Amino acid sequence: MVSAEKQRELIRRFRAIVGEDGILTQPEDLAVYECDGYVIEKKTPDVVLFPTERDQIVAIVQACRELEVPYIPRGAGTSLAGGCLPVGGGVVIALTRMRKILEVNLRNRYAIVEPGCVNVHLTQHLAGSGFHYAPDPSSQGACTLGGNVATNSGGPHTLKYGVTVNHVLGLEVVLPNGSVVELGGVAEDAPGYDLTGLFVGSEGTFGICTKVMVRLTRDPAACRTMLGVFENVQDATHCISGIISAGIVPAALEMMDQGIVEALEAAFQFGFPLDAGAVLLIEVDGLEAAVDSEAQHIIEICNARGAREMRWAETAAERQLLWKCRKQAFGAIGRLSSSFCTQDGVVPRTKLPEILNFISECEKRHQLRIVNVFHAGDGNIHPILLFDERDETQIQHVLAASHEILQKCLDLGGSVTGEHGIGVEKLDFMPRLFSETDLAIMSDIRKVFNPDGLCSPNKMLPTAGACGMEEIPRDHPGRRAAL
Amino acid sequence: MVNCYNMTSTSQPIRPTSSAELQKQIRENYVGSRRPIHIRGGGTGASAGYLQDDPSAIVLTTTGLSRVIDYPKDDMTITIEAGLTIAELTGTLVRHRQQLPIDVPVPEQATIGGVVAANISGSRRFGYGTMRDYLIGIIAVDVQGQQFSAGGRVVKNVAGYDLCKLMIGSLGTLAVISQVTLKLKPVSESTGILWATFETLDDIDVVLETLLLSSARPVALDVLNARAAQTIVTGAELKQLPTEQPVLAITVDGLSAEVDWQLESLRKELAVFMPTVCLPIVNDDQRQKLQSAITQFSQQQSAVLALKANLPPSATLDWMAYADEEGLALLSHAGNGIVKGRFPVEPTEYSRAIEILGRLRAKARQYRGNVVVDTCPHTWRQKLPMFGDPEPSWSLMRKIKQQLDPDDLLNRGMFNEFRLPALRNSDGVTS
Repeated sequence: MVSAEKQRELIRRFRAIVGEDGILTQPEDLAVYECDGYVIEKKTPDVVLFPTERDQIVAIVQACRELEVPYIPRGAGTSLAGGCLPVGGGVVIALTRMRKILEVNLRNRYAIVEPGCVNVHLTQHLAGSGFHYAPDPSSQGACTLGGNVATNSGGPHTLKYGVTVNHVLGLEVVLPNGSVVELGGVAEDAPGYDLTGLFVGSEGTFGICTKVMVRLTRDPAACRTMLGVFENVQDATHCISGIISAGIVPAALEMMDQGIVEALEAAFQFGFPLDAGAVLLIEVDGLEAAVDSEAQHIIEICNARGAREMRWAETAAERQLLWKCRKQAFGAIGRLSSSFCTQDGVVPRTKLPEILNFISECEKRHQLRIVNVFHAGDGNIHPILLFDERDETQIQHVLAASHEILQKCLDLGGSVTGEHGIGVEKLDFMPRLFSETDLAIMSDIRKVFNPDGLCSPNKMLPTAGACGMEEIPRDHPGRRAAL
Repeated sequence: MVNCYNMTSTSQPIRPTSSAELQKQIRENYVGSRRPIHIRGGGTGASAGYLQDDPSAIVLTTTGLSRVIDYPKDDMTITIEAGLTIAELTGTLVRHRQQLPIDVPVPEQATIGGVVAANISGSRRFGYGTMRDYLIGIIAVDVQGQQFSAGGRVVKNVAGYDLCKLMIGSLGTLAVISQVTLKLKPVSESTGILWATFETLDDIDVVLETLLLSSARPVALDVLNARAAQTIVTGAELKQLPTEQPVLAITVDGLSAEVDWQLESLRKELAVFMPTVCLPIVNDDQRQKLQSAITQFSQQQSAVLALKANLPPSATLDWMAYADEEGLALLSHAGNGIVKGRFPVEPTEYSRAIEILGRLRAKARQYRGNVVVDTCPHTWRQKLPMFGDPEPSWSLMRKIKQQLDPDDLLNRGMFNEFRLPALRNSDGVTS
């Protein structure tokens, strides 16, 4: 929290930069920005700003630097690990008014967008061009490309097409020293270190991205979308291992368990089988000459591994509804519980049966309800722990169960985050994932970009990246609000 | 391939056979004499940049680190030591119909660590990407002999900064790579190449534009000028292929039926543009020889001066046409804007090389591209700007280098220009 005097000076300077329309200072307005999709920890910022152009961001960063105030960039706030939490207060720089699609160049297969451009808006803009932007997080209707860059977002179709970093050609970045630098660009293989690749996934700790140049992907000529219905989760997970080990890389391979299916059916009335233990949503794409053959191969594997029933999406509308159900699964959770915590572990794909068993044990041990919807083909699990945030005991069980699940992911040779990031939620896991030397080197790299540590402090690395950062307090947990 | 290491160091190479030994040797150097360390894998990236002449330098070769650590084939990942050759890796993977789809010249010699450090790629980068799409975990040893890691062994992982990306293409200037984990792809059932010749490079440019919306999905779009085509066809011993004109070589893969369908579709799509010839190459032996010769093109021993241009794809053919007039043999991965060029015979004089390089760089600059020198006589290296024009981001790169290797011991001089970016004359030549 900054002093009253400093806050007055900040507000005076920021008003001059972004105008009256671009600043929030009242507690009721600031409360909206106290957390992201991770609601267990909250902290109200001192000021929220809405720049509309790069030079305003430069001026904001310079002012923060001069007044030694921490600041953090924020997209749509869909992060599920507290990546947008303004630890220690300070300034939130909301990029949602910088949402223009600046250029689409099909000949060179790229688009340049501002960081606040909503992921799905780019997809919609490209509809009919024969190209699309491949990474499609489930939150793509809200999440921004700048946020995707910060967390290196994934999504169902990243199984075949790769995550955000595989589709970012270049960035324009405002560094914490107030300078503007371009990383990468349309000409691939620029000499030197791949700073674009390094910046993607740095969770806002290296600076603020002001332009994103993304690679566009040719639309698949054809696709087949199937629903595999299984009696139980174990059969479904064994089937996933079977598909991958057969050398098939579908465009998407998602699993939803009975709890999720119930919520989705209540919300969308798709006709999901409510008595099924789990369903697999499987999509193959490619040329018309190949998709049927690949789909048939998958059906054979599913049948051999205990599928009760295989269904096809007969029409484009049916396919779209299936994907709508999958991508809005988190929204449908509201029908099951007032609050939830989504985890984001990764295991080797062949270890899915083990981790799902463990989650089930955890559910019983902590007397919680846990439902599962996840990117099965990548081994990227998303157990969703349901709770009532008015009950402190339940919160403690949620935290304990989450830690146990993530630790089990590590024990199985995996990771604690596949696409949501470390944020503040998983800082404690970093020393379990990485050695002191690993973390020291990461800290050294951060110092190159962010030497005074004011940009997104206390994120990603568990130890301070610069002097003074240890002293920035964090609410734990802060004031809680219903979802 | 020019081997700079023998020219710059007089000492016997050290060849650790375990990670512990590697750490020990580097640590002893750091706490002791702090001699520069020249890191060597199979030598495939050895000519890039400029390794400073230093007889006291230690040559560290990673070829003793060549074990397969873990190959959970059902997870389609593999963890291997850095000194394993690409040929050995391919041999292991192909038994399970899996592959690392990166085209690497001299696979019997090239090591995976070297391929990562030099960011080697070839034709299939259009369909399959480059090392940054496959490297999911790394273990390396820093200049103090400390081992560090990043990423992991799972295919999706965003924990921590992505130091894998930082190490790719870093040419051994930041750390010694000791182990990598790779994501793998299944081997395609079938592959085919369409070899089409056209009167001019301009004609091919129009075809490339149309192919953007082709009904096929090529994995490689290579364009060769006649000089390169001759070299490649000779190397592949496929003398029946015409080479008098520029060539568009399109590679497709997938199921057999899929490949047949794509080759036929492409043949029809190209017919509109009246190629002089349009030959499908589906015979596995011939196709493999051709792919191999294309991959080897940039590694020809006889090249005195070899360049690599990186351009927006739309500018590739225009730049090639310009470079063609300078007498270069040129192969482009046109879908990605990468052009590999070399002077096939003429042992160019330095003054002439500088002149040509200046013109080619100026042309590339018009399109916001660049030209990097891949191979040149060792004596040119001190004065020739190997990496082209300085970019603002080089100052960040310089700081990263200083942070991780403050005494500049690892492959000293390799990225010399990052440390001395300002001293240029108007021709882009370091003064």
